[in-house]
Amino acid sequence: MLDHILSILIFFPALAGIFGLGVAKDSMRAYGTAVAFIEFALSLFLWFSFDPTVSGMQFMEELPLVPAFGINYILGVDGISLFIVVLAAFFTFIGIASLSDTKNIKNLIITLLFLQMTMVGVFLALDAIVFYLFWELSLVPMLYIIGAWGGPKRIYASVKFFLYTFTGSLVMLVGILFMAYFYYQATGVWSFAILDWYRLILPAEDLLTGDIWHMGNYQMWLFLAFFMGFAIKVPMFPFHTWLPYAHGQAPTIGSVILAAILLKMGTYALIRFLLPLFPDASVMFMFPIAILAIIMIIYTAMVAYAQEDVKQVVAYSSVSHMGVIVLGTFALNVEGISGSIFLMIGHGVVSGALFLLVGVIYDRRDTKMMKDFGGLAHVMPRYATIFGIMMMASVGLPLTINFVGEFLSLLGFYQQSHILTIFAGTAIIVGAIYMLSAYKKMFFGELTNEKNKNLPDLNKRELFALVPLVVVAIWLGIYPKPLLTPISNSVESVVQLMHDKATTDEAKRRIPSIAQEIIITKTSTKEMH
Amino acid sequence: MEIFLYTALFSPLLGSLFATLFAAKPKLLIAGIVPTLLLGVSFISSSVLLAHILSTGQVVHVEMMTWMEAGDLYIPFGFVVDQISVTMMMVVTLVSTVVHIYAIGYMDHDKSFNRFFAWLSAFVFSMLILVMSDNFAGLFIGWEGVGLCSWGLIGFWYYKESATWAANEAFIMNRIADLGMLVGIFLIYSNTGTLQYTEAFAALPSLDNETLTWMGIFLFIGAMGKSAQFPLHTWLADAMEGPTPVSALIHAATMVTAGVYLVIRANPLYDLIPQVGLFIASLGAFVAIFAASMALVNRDMKKIIAYSTLSQLGYMFAAAGLGAYWVALFHLMAHAFFKALLFLGAGNVMHAMDNELDPFKMGGLKKTMRGTFIMMTVASIALAGIFPLAGFFSKDLILEAAFVNHHYIIYSVLLFTAGLTAFYSFRLIALIFHGEQRYKIFGIHPHEAYKFMLVGMSPLLLLAIIAGSFKMPYYEMVTALLPATEYHVHSVAVYWAMTIGTQLLAASAILFAYKKYARNNIKVPDGSSAVEQTFVYKLLINQYYIPLIYEECLIKPYRTLSRVFWKEIDQKIIDASVDGIANRFYSTGEATRDMQSGNLSTMLKWMVAGLVVLLSLAVVFAFAASHPDDIKLLLSGLGVQ
Repeated sequence: MLDHILSILIFFPALAGIFGLGVAKDSMRAYGTAVAFIEFALSLFLWFSFDPTVSGMQFMEELPLVPAFGINYILGVDGISLFIVVLAAFFTFIGIASLSDTKNIKNLIITLLFLQMTMVGVFLALDAIVFYLFWELSLVPMLYIIGAWGGPKRIYASVKFFLYTFTGSLVMLVGILFMAYFYYQATGVWSFAILDWYRLILPAEDLLTGDIWHMGNYQMWLFLAFFMGFAIKVPMFPFHTWLPYAHGQAPTIGSVILAAILLKMGTYALIRFLLPLFPDASVMFMFPIAILAIIMIIYTAMVAYAQEDVKQVVAYSSVSHMGVIVLGTFALNVEGISGSIFLMIGHGVVSGALFLLVGVIYDRRDTKMMKDFGGLAHVMPRYATIFGIMMMASVGLPLTINFVGEFLSLLGFYQQSHILTIFAGTAIIVGAIYMLSAYKKMFFGELTNEKNKNLPDLNKRELFALVPLVVVAIWLGIYPKPLLTPISNSVESVVQLMHDKATTDEAKRRIPSIAQEIIITKTSTKEMH
Repeated sequence: MEIFLYTALFSPLLGSLFATLFAAKPKLLIAGIVPTLLLGVSFISSSVLLAHILSTGQVVHVEMMTWMEAGDLYIPFGFVVDQISVTMMMVVTLVSTVVHIYAIGYMDHDKSFNRFFAWLSAFVFSMLILVMSDNFAGLFIGWEGVGLCSWGLIGFWYYKESATWAANEAFIMNRIADLGMLVGIFLIYSNTGTLQYTEAFAALPSLDNETLTWMGIFLFIGAMGKSAQFPLHTWLADAMEGPTPVSALIHAATMVTAGVYLVIRANPLYDLIPQVGLFIASLGAFVAIFAASMALVNRDMKKIIAYSTLSQLGYMFAAAGLGAYWVALFHLMAHAFFKALLFLGAGNVMHAMDNELDPFKMGGLKKTMRGTFIMMTVASIALAGIFPLAGFFSKDLILEAAFVNHHYIIYSVLLFTAGLTAFYSFRLIALIFHGEQRYKIFGIHPHEAYKFMLVGMSPLLLLAIIAGSFKMPYYEMVTALLPATEYHVHSVAVYWAMTIGTQLLAASAILFAYKKYARNNIKVPDGSSAVEQTFVYKLLINQYYIPLIYEECLIKPYRTLSRVFWKEIDQKIIDASVDGIANRFYSTGEATRDMQSGNLSTMLKWMVAGLVVLLSLAVVFAFAASHPDDIKLLLSGLGVQ
């Protein structure tokens, strides 16, 4: 079973979804929950079978698809993708289990199971074409979820979501084809395998002038092509405007999956593709992207503060946090990248939980406008408590999950630029501003609105979904090691690969070599004692 | 000894979790008693650790488990009980035990009694993490943890708009400072490769002065937030919205002194950068007089005491900045005792007065509230620095330290502030307890607090009186870690002149305050008197208009800018251009549909046009291919490489 566990993880939900067509409507929720639970258990099984000391790919599978063009079905998992896969399985399970009664629940659950296939596929694929297929396929179920179960402007929102991300992906596809072509030119064989591509060093400097900002710098162009696809998905400023619409119109479950998992596809791909494939270009664009990330952090946090709809607050806060993740990624050192991967998990848990929490009040009151609430702590103390914990996790309080990722990301980037890190660090201030003021508007004050006077507190089903998230958010804040060790092991090999592949002096300097650094630490500790 | 360390640290957490179980339930006495008992356990464990350190001088150090590990970074949950942290532990556990006992009575009628104890014990736990951690990251956990609990407790009565506003203000303002702290931590890590105190401090002397200066500045920015130093001070007065036991514990005795603790803890750093130390001392002296001046005219009992706390924090920073770390720590300790006592007394008065806070509406309470009267008076004498109470010894040392170090300006400012302190303290005492019973016209029937509350407060009373006598043993103990400088004025005559002079100044300020405010015909100010028309009075009562300036220059612009970003930039520029591009494609498609109308002659026309375009392109490219050098020249002339 272990030989094919990755394929099982990808295709089990889809197969179960097809079988689900024959399941009676009444038992669909139970069926979906059971399937998602099995998938979650499988992902945990993968985690426990995973060897955390190995930095490379594990459980690899390979199956030729179009051998002539080097297109193969290759899967593999390492510390970078493992936990995102577990997170995806976890959230699909939580999401389906906590689903409130809606129309066409059967279709919704089947769609979710298909969505799960595409998500897991993206994170496990090690062939660029297979990756691209899953990447694009993931748009379809999401488009359907927003379009069929969304709010009044759902068609506009879903079409915008689809077209926007699709456009970006097409540019990325051109990049993928070019990359394979370069590989063919260099080696004489076609290959779309990412691990093959890792071994390919693309020249960055102009051979005559030694300049890197020149038109013949293929790394630069390929970097930009891939970046276009990823940046829209993340979403990077200024490509983020599809997200508020998508969240605004999507049903709760759609927002949860979108924020917790789908956005992570972008930042995951940054680490899987951009950094190791184009180390010199990554250094070239380090500061421009860092500045975009800082704009994301501050600007969207301010926009979040101005919102009147609590779901939009959470939506914009997502963009703001993704800024920290991007910044940590482009720290290009082990601390920063490990931090950004950890923050992907943390942000997944926290923003997913916050969207679930918003869904709770939306189910009860059919409104998300903060002015309709106020004083909810009087009638819904448990809801207020869990919301409060998740809010504090979102603003990155130490001993909650987000602090670890934020701290490491910022610490990592501090090695690259002090000033920019200080600007990025304002995340802890602006984050507190929008979150605390939103919380105050919703929960504090007198209970003035008559309609809120008899609101029921969280029911069992909601607690069942939220309490595990609270536990995870605190547990991983106190004891991040089970995740952090495998993550940083795999990140070390990525950083080392980047260092070895870098052709320019600047990149060699900016990307630390792990092997060297260990020697340095050893001597300095010796001196201290 | 490790077991005592863990007991001292984790019993408050246990108490907090216990109370949390009942958080949403109606009042349960046991939810208050169990955390209090557990705090008692924590206090006893701390005492054992103190005895251990006093007798053996050995530091207790444990590493519980790894927290974060990535790349070269390694941060454990490590705790250390040394001479500095044991002092803080004693202060924290003692004062919080007293406050817990007191709060059982004070929060008697509150429907959120259980929730209160959950927060309060959680605060003690965070504070202990703060003082006991052996590394900067652990310190930061406690640092943010106390901030969180402070938020929860200031906004404890969450239905009050002013309380929740103050809670958010405190949290956000502290976060601004915390960014400084975080940057300081990054700076330490990137230069020393570690966050452990001992290793980081050991590596400091090899660093260049500029780096050290920045480290000192950024860490101090963190300290300024938590200890409410100018210009981040406004949250402290507003924090008085919280229940009074909270003000006593968090906003007087413990949390606000965390900044002082940080500077003391980082003394190996600040010793290397005396210029930053001097800045800290000057700012401290400024804050001392600045806060005292606002206390002179204020008409809110709790805010007066809060400004007094601010002023005393200034004293502590003045001492720490001048390198007199042990003096600062000594004053921190003495201040914790008498200030907590003063606040708890104020809580009794508030209860008696139906939560009235204006001392002008009180008066003559000494008859009905004898116990509270005695305690608050003793606390005020101690605060004013009158011999032989605690404040005399600690404050006198700070003055001497400034004098001996030849910082005469700082010395004079602090001396003058001592006079102001005596005045405003006894203005309050006189207005509350002496003179006519002005509250009668408001129909209030005052009553003394529960007896067990007064008994609970008595350890603080005792310590406010005798803490000064610990001076020498304390010096012996703590200088094992801190620079052992005794501050003696060399000339005996000068010493006596200074001491007696200070005492006379304080005593005359007290007498003046009594003469002015213990009279019988005090009127409740209504804005009509001549004093209230003066510029100085208006300046002081409006807190130098600083809150107003913050509101107008920071909060409102931030709000406006946020709205502009959302409505104008995000929606009208960024999103509109995205839609614009999409619409352009759409309309281009609409417009060019005619090309494919199926009409043969139209199609032929387009075909000819296409042929012409392609042919001309071919000519251009052929030309370009035959003259590559010219093209290159042309392109470089256009700025394309």
